[in-house]
Amino acid sequence: MLAPLPASEWTLEAAGHLFNRAAFGGTPEEIQKLHAMGHSSAVQSLLNAGEDEDLFPSPEISPLRPYRELKNASASPAEMMEKKKMIQAQVRRETIEARIWWINRMASTPFPAREKCVLFWHGHWATSIQKVNDPFLILQQNQTLRAHAFGPFDLFAKEMSKDPAMIRYLDLNSSKVGRPNENFAREFMELFTLGEGQYSEEDVQEVARSFTGYRINPDTGGFFFAARSHDSGVKKIFGKTGNMSGDETVDLIVSRPQCAEFLSAKFWNFYAGENPSSPLNQVLASEYRASGLKMDDFLKRIFLSREFYAPKYRRRQIKSPVQWLIQTCKILERPLPDPRVIQSTLEQLGQVPFAPPNVKGWDGGRAWISSSTLLLRYNLGGALVRNARGAKPDIEKILPSETTAEAACDLLSWRLFQAPMTTALREKTIDFLKNNGRSPASHGDLIHLLMSTPDFQLT
Amino acid sequence: MKQTLHTRRQFLRTSILGGAVSWTIPAFLERTFFTLDAMAMDSLVQTTTGKDGPIFIVLQLAGGNDGLNTLVPLSDDAYFQARPTIAIPGAKTLRLTDELGLNPQLTGLKALHDEGHLAIVQGVGYPNPNRSHFRSTEIWHTASDSAKTEKYGWMGRYFDACCKGSDPSIGVSIGSQTPQAFAAPEPRGVTFAKPEQFRFDLKNAADHDVADEFFRSVNDFESEQMDGASIGMLQGHADGSGNTLDFLQRTSLDAVVSSDKVAEIIKRTQPGASYPSNRLADSLNLVARLIGGGMPTRVYYVAQGGYDTHSSQSGSHERLMKELDASLASFTADLKAQGNFDRVVLMTFSEFGRRVAENASGGTDHGAAAPLFLIGGKVKPGIYGKPPSLTQLHDGDIIHNVDFRSVYATVLSKWLNAPVEPILKRNFPIMSFI
Repeated sequence: MLAPLPASEWTLEAAGHLFNRAAFGGTPEEIQKLHAMGHSSAVQSLLNAGEDEDLFPSPEISPLRPYRELKNASASPAEMMEKKKMIQAQVRRETIEARIWWINRMASTPFPAREKCVLFWHGHWATSIQKVNDPFLILQQNQTLRAHAFGPFDLFAKEMSKDPAMIRYLDLNSSKVGRPNENFAREFMELFTLGEGQYSEEDVQEVARSFTGYRINPDTGGFFFAARSHDSGVKKIFGKTGNMSGDETVDLIVSRPQCAEFLSAKFWNFYAGENPSSPLNQVLASEYRASGLKMDDFLKRIFLSREFYAPKYRRRQIKSPVQWLIQTCKILERPLPDPRVIQSTLEQLGQVPFAPPNVKGWDGGRAWISSSTLLLRYNLGGALVRNARGAKPDIEKILPSETTAEAACDLLSWRLFQAPMTTALREKTIDFLKNNGRSPASHGDLIHLLMSTPDFQLT
Repeated sequence: MKQTLHTRRQFLRTSILGGAVSWTIPAFLERTFFTLDAMAMDSLVQTTTGKDGPIFIVLQLAGGNDGLNTLVPLSDDAYFQARPTIAIPGAKTLRLTDELGLNPQLTGLKALHDEGHLAIVQGVGYPNPNRSHFRSTEIWHTASDSAKTEKYGWMGRYFDACCKGSDPSIGVSIGSQTPQAFAAPEPRGVTFAKPEQFRFDLKNAADHDVADEFFRSVNDFESEQMDGASIGMLQGHADGSGNTLDFLQRTSLDAVVSSDKVAEIIKRTQPGASYPSNRLADSLNLVARLIGGGMPTRVYYVAQGGYDTHSSQSGSHERLMKELDASLASFTADLKAQGNFDRVVLMTFSEFGRRVAENASGGTDHGAAAPLFLIGGKVKPGIYGKPPSLTQLHDGDIIHNVDFRSVYATVLSKWLNAPVEPILKRNFPIMSFI
């Protein structure tokens, strides 16, 4: 089992590490506050998740409008084309609306660790608007991810097998007795629960049979079970024979030992920043099992462990574009930029929520960075520091003009990196401060420049 | 950290020392020469320079180009029967042979054909064709078998096998996303849509020069002061091979050096021909300027989208063909004027062709094999590959006669002088279009 972090090692830097990884980071004051709570209470407070629906009412999107409207139209082909175009424009608009709503929620919720976890699950149960083509279903799935993010995995997996966006994304809606579609069955085992090579082709076919008859209710956009299309016959899955329902099949798969191992490695990669070694993953998987596959319980175990705070994990994870954007706004204490800027930033940096590149989700890690996305990060950082239009950070608050050069270095490194600067960077920063006047404009330049470094891309 | 930028020889030949550049060579680059000289000695294949060496350009027609309406089988009744409303009458095509004519919009390609600079390979595809845009694009980019998923791209594997120690801009992709073809364990290549965006932007800085100097000094990871540990005194290997920070530092240095070079070339060069105004033409115009300006790039990647013509395709496909043709005509004229046409081979491809039979909406659905074009001063002109049958189909789709990896293998071995097997995982028949 994982050894706990000794109280003496619960430092400010450890608190910063926890805050960055479990959530989206924050200001030096927020990290200070988290640290002052003591380790155990800090972890507990992050994993609390209450209702914040009142603060973030969902955008109003009605179900399945595009398809119904198209069907009802008794129009000429030209009119149909026109209609189709209008519907596509609406799908685009509503998708962006839903996306901005979620980004905004990540940035301002009192429960940021849950939103971070929802972001993880979105990459796990990756579903894209590109195929689903219905913002209502995508938003509905996002709420399902939120409802189950911290909960037990078996229940979550059952809900996801019945999630209408997923049903459409992986072609469950056309899967019926006699003609099962294997797409969902395969990805469910390969990407969602067990990992490649942990099942046979026969298992795929048999699992596909048990998920037949899963449909989308066209009136509500909810799930419905078409019993007549369901294959209730006898199946043989992982050597077990019976007339398993979809839910029973989920139980069968989730209870396989590989499931906890597959997931614990994926969690560790997301939160600690690297794939665990095999012995470490054995420990992680047994912690996960001991938590009853319940996410908040498992996260509590890793966030309290000494391993999670080991030096090799600290400041070595490349921020995802979403993390980069939200954390940057938080540490600059500025509001999120204009929705159009958010949208184009995420597009350019390569992480557009609700549009993962494929069912594997985002590769993450080094795949976030190319020479052009790195320069874009440097340039977008400049826009967030000193964009002439719209909200600007209060540079004087971040770095008061009278601060001595030495103290300024401390302030900036804490705020920007949540760790001390190297001697070399510190010397250059001090030179800059001494030679370039101490106006907010030149301080703004310095902040932008410190953000335009490889170090700032790490958390 | 070992940084691989240029050999000293290369360096002297390319513009950084020779041309009028606005910034002086950082000390770290000078130091790098010595390391690189040594590395280049070890390398099996000498890296290319800006002024010589072959250049390969990939042009992706994204969305699935309708091969049958691009290269029209004008004497085949099956074509006209399968496409009662969208078939192009033989008389309208630009006739190449008694059997084949080009789409009427492809006048520039016809001219290239007539002057002997166009090769056409017919019926290109792969076994067990996949009809998903995403998956089939991945197959073309990674050169994998249909049933296998391969992470790295064929160009990425080429860079890995043959361009060790080369400039980061050995591959340049014009667009917003790095193509999977460039993916490699140690990725190389730079991607940008507009040169003015591929710059560290300090125009709003209070003091531009001071900020620029600071930026360059903190992104100079070769100098002794910056070597090794950075923020937080923490060493570690948190992400695959090598340290994540090393990886970021290397990429940052690549970005600074390549973007300076691109900016310098854009400043120094003028468009050499008049181009139509569309995205593909903009991309090709940029590529021509980079070639003319002496970028040490071996592979360029550009794309034209919009080929997913499921409905009312006649008008839209015509427009795409026209856009493609006019852009290529300007581009080839530009390269000829530069004297670089002989250094270049351009290959088009699309993730798949389209169904032989038109659908109920005057369009065509996803298909399989299709023709592709190769253009260049050294291309051996002609029509290659057996004409595909329009009556013996597989699920309504054309069966390929040429595996696309045969085309790749030919380009690799005959144009880029690269070994085929390490890059494509096995050998494929070599063709004679080069």
